[in-house]
Amino acid sequence: MVVKQEEKSVFDREELMTGTDAVAEAVKLVDVDVFAAYPIRPYTGVMDRLARFIANGDLDAEYIVADGEHSQFEIGKHASSVGARAFVGSSGVGWLYAMESIGVTATDRLPLVALVGNRALDDPGAFGVEHNDALLVRDLGWLLCWASTAQEALDTTLIAYRVAEDPKVRMPAAVAMDGGYLTHSQHMVRVPTKEAVRDFLPTYDLGNRRMHPDNPVSIAPQVNEDWVMELRKQNYEAAKRSRKVITSAYEEYNSIFHSEYENPFIEETNVEDADTVLVGMGSAAVVARSVANEMRKEGKKVGFLKIRWYRPYPTEEIRKALSNVSNVGIIERNFAMGAPDDGAITMHDLQSALYDSKNHPRVVDFIAGLGGREISKKEVRKMFEMTADKKSPKISWIGLRE
Amino acid sequence: MMQTQKPHLIRLEVNYRGIFQKTLAYHISGDVVYAAHKEGKTAFSNGRYSDDPQRNGIPCANFAYFSKDLSEEDLEAEASASMDITEAEVVVVLDDTMVKGLEPWGGYGIRPINEKVVKDGAVLIVSNRKPADLVAQMEKKNFPYRLAILPGEASFAGLWYFKDDMTDVRVLGAIAKVAPEIASIDTVANYVASKYKSKEKAAAARKAYEEVKISTVNAGTGIDWPYPKPILPGWKDFDEGVYVKGVKRGFQMGPRGQNRNPDFKRGTSKTQRPVVRFDLCTKCTLCWYDCPDEVFDPTTDGLYDVNYEYCTGCGRCAEVCPVEDCIVMVDELKFENQDSPYVLYKKDPEKYVKWAEDKKGKERLMPSPVTGKGSSVSKVETPKPFKKGVVK
Amino acid sequence: MVEEVEEFKNANLYKGVHAVDLEELYTSGHRTCQGCESALVMRDFVKASGPRTVVTGATGCMYVANTSYMTTPWIVPWMHTQLAAGGASAVGMAAGLKALMRKGRIPKEKINVINFSGDLGAGDEGLGGLSGAMQSPYDLLVIVYDNESAANTDIQASGLTTWGAQTTFSPTGPAKRILHERWKKNLAAMMAIGHPNVKYVATSCATFPPTDYMNKVKKALSIGGPTLIHTIDPCPKGWDYHPRYSHVLGELAIKTGIFADYEIVNGEVRYTYDLRNKKRVPVREYLEKQGRFSHFLDEDYEYVQSKVDEMWDEWELPGILPIKAGLKVKK
Repeated sequence: MVVKQEEKSVFDREELMTGTDAVAEAVKLVDVDVFAAYPIRPYTGVMDRLARFIANGDLDAEYIVADGEHSQFEIGKHASSVGARAFVGSSGVGWLYAMESIGVTATDRLPLVALVGNRALDDPGAFGVEHNDALLVRDLGWLLCWASTAQEALDTTLIAYRVAEDPKVRMPAAVAMDGGYLTHSQHMVRVPTKEAVRDFLPTYDLGNRRMHPDNPVSIAPQVNEDWVMELRKQNYEAAKRSRKVITSAYEEYNSIFHSEYENPFIEETNVEDADTVLVGMGSAAVVARSVANEMRKEGKKVGFLKIRWYRPYPTEEIRKALSNVSNVGIIERNFAMGAPDDGAITMHDLQSALYDSKNHPRVVDFIAGLGGREISKKEVRKMFEMTADKKSPKISWIGLRE
Repeated sequence: MMQTQKPHLIRLEVNYRGIFQKTLAYHISGDVVYAAHKEGKTAFSNGRYSDDPQRNGIPCANFAYFSKDLSEEDLEAEASASMDITEAEVVVVLDDTMVKGLEPWGGYGIRPINEKVVKDGAVLIVSNRKPADLVAQMEKKNFPYRLAILPGEASFAGLWYFKDDMTDVRVLGAIAKVAPEIASIDTVANYVASKYKSKEKAAAARKAYEEVKISTVNAGTGIDWPYPKPILPGWKDFDEGVYVKGVKRGFQMGPRGQNRNPDFKRGTSKTQRPVVRFDLCTKCTLCWYDCPDEVFDPTTDGLYDVNYEYCTGCGRCAEVCPVEDCIVMVDELKFENQDSPYVLYKKDPEKYVKWAEDKKGKERLMPSPVTGKGSSVSKVETPKPFKKGVVK
Repeated sequence: MVEEVEEFKNANLYKGVHAVDLEELYTSGHRTCQGCESALVMRDFVKASGPRTVVTGATGCMYVANTSYMTTPWIVPWMHTQLAAGGASAVGMAAGLKALMRKGRIPKEKINVINFSGDLGAGDEGLGGLSGAMQSPYDLLVIVYDNESAANTDIQASGLTTWGAQTTFSPTGPAKRILHERWKKNLAAMMAIGHPNVKYVATSCATFPPTDYMNKVKKALSIGGPTLIHTIDPCPKGWDYHPRYSHVLGELAIKTGIFADYEIVNGEVRYTYDLRNKKRVPVREYLEKQGRFSHFLDEDYEYVQSKVDEMWDEWELPGILPIKAGLKVKK
């Protein structure tokens, strides 16, 4: 009974929302100080909703319509440098247009939070989902995670601010979601109260790096070869430290909001005793989980592992989860022309993580759902079957017209 | 057990003034590689990457490496193809004022010109000075080395307008004398003659070979180097977030009253320094106003002290000063320290004025507006009469 | 003489060089060239702006030369920003500070937000971002220090390089004496004309006429909203002249009329150095003092002179509006 009362107090309401709406709601809840917008499908819904908050007087923030994504991200970066909590976002080629700024935001160690509404890269112009845009920043010093549901999008955005701004971390964070799927489909979302979010997320304080006349610092002077390695090493350490910070952030989030994020980094569905496991990110997880449960009922020892945080990469978690599995297949919504084995991007990280394990499983790769093509239950079932079949090829294209 | 023979390796460093001598330095470090090649040696050259983008006046360095027996790849590995080197058999100095020290970039410290020379190695300086005058400003070493002086003034030119005064080929001739194992004078002269299709240039190289004067600097000769070599911190020893604290705000009237960047002094960029006749000053403020290095310290009596530690010697103050002979640019090698001239002046004005006139001498270097066209030296026939008091 | 203009009565303009603040907020110990005029652009804007200032510097000479890690010549807070991000960086800082003040997280006060960008950064790659900043509602100042090249990468031509100049992207050669055939982009005026909300746009030279530049900075900061100052910065390295003559070339740039010195205040043009219907110093006197024009023939000097004459004698607004309405209207 007591629990129920508490539960009421941390949530404001339930509302039907798209993934981008949910992120906008989270951005409002963190009382963002500055956000900068530039339109590109499909992330842009988040800015539409934030703009409406401003118009309606629901959010006290500086709202800037930038002249392009490069400026948009620079505005966010520099707002962050003076100690303001900032938000930006983009999709596909827009995200690439901002790439220079994305790089320096990471090396400047500024905890900007961005939404990536995953979108295929031009040319030709395409609106559908592919993960290449977000994956391009995987090694630049950004925290990078994928949300699969609208609720998770809201939760993850709040957690992203908490982790990014932690003094032990201070790295920018990108929350990615599948364009066209999560960005546009509507689901019921429990919206926390402002007060509860305030308990979870301390005020942003950049400390002795804040740009202000009372704290005269010089940020990012030119270096030569005498310094770069040491600076990179510092950034590596921050990324390493972020793992612990993420863990404790989820623990606290679970306790305040009664959510059930068992493992912050990965989500396992029937993996524990499975022979065959599919791994994936984003909205494909929804279908894959459903198929995995269905096939279990049929007596097949299959499971699904969703990767939520891609950077920092959950090396230990993945090793542990897949150590007794014989066959692993990866659903890849991205491409990597000319890569080893002609596979896609995430296979290589996964294989590297497993390489030193004693009994590492056989790994196959499925390139599927590019450009927003649907990944159906039937196709997921096929991928499970191919993964279990030792004779199936290393790389397969699923859903391709031959 | 077979002992590994140390491979034959000669490392040559060319110290030069950024931009003004960039083309010259590249001529030398390139041509010397060509000459060594003519004798069948392995050789290559590179420039210190961190020097770029060069600023005019900044001390910069090129390197060239030579070996009789190493392959090009092994030579590059042996020389470590580094951004900077720690030892050199031959150190060439294209502007003698660099013997006062080198500070190419922030945090590098002011380093001695002969820091890298090895035992019995050579420091070859283009200069019209006596060896003793130069050694008197150089760090003492605990081993002997050779000091070679090639008579001549520092050759300065601009970015687009190369002044062909034969300094490049003269230095090549001198290198042949100092380090014949790089290339003999015959090889050098033949190479110069064929490259430039000029007998005069080949003759200039041979003449330099004859003119260069080599003496030995004994162990312990020189000065105790007054500037510490900075120790770079480890990655844990400085804050994350690629920031540094700004220079602490601080200003008061008088010499050294302005806080300045403590870790980067630009004084080693100058070949000349402004000598100020405070007694002639009209307090117009223009030297202070126009100084692009903020080296003039305002004083309570309206005069402006000069902080030579930071002065880069550009000469703008001398140019904007409305009083003839109030500020005159004087050869940097004539000075032993960076002391405040204003303090000296206040202590004994007459003595200071005499000292200043003495330092200024009777010659004035008048640079052409276009750098590449060089400078002219004009004689001041009769010294200006000593004026007491302050001109209004 | 400083005019006491109503809109600047609270700007605390310097009345002569003796009134200029003595304290430095950008101080000695920077890796700029001997005689660098742009270093004075830095020193003087922050002097005029005072200690309650935050600064971003776009990639370029005044970034790389000034701050060599772990050292800095800046006393006020300074941060690097990307080549094309000058405008956006100012917007970001101004927006952040405004929000924090409104929400009571930092004390309410006037903090001057200034970005400096070079001609390559502001005039070419960052033109869109600069335009964005000029459309913003924030109090900010962008200073475009124009040394007419990418001076940080050893002098490549930019869109603001004088016609015909030698740069490493436009060397002179037997087949092509003149490789840089673009006429200098009219940056400040473009910003003024294209952004009617902007209350103050000016051009200037750091050292000529004395105090003019610093007072323009004060005016820009006092009038409010986004503002822009474009300075002409003789560059001893790239323009190839002896460092002691930077101020001479700055003065000549203005007196020959090749660089128009003006301000546009609330839409009103005021020529700082009015060369309309006046005898101008022949532009050759300016050009031939620079090694970058050492390849010029008489016809080149004449061509540049004709373009300068056309600007002053035929443009509707010399230096600003290259339209000949009312003077030569074609039927």
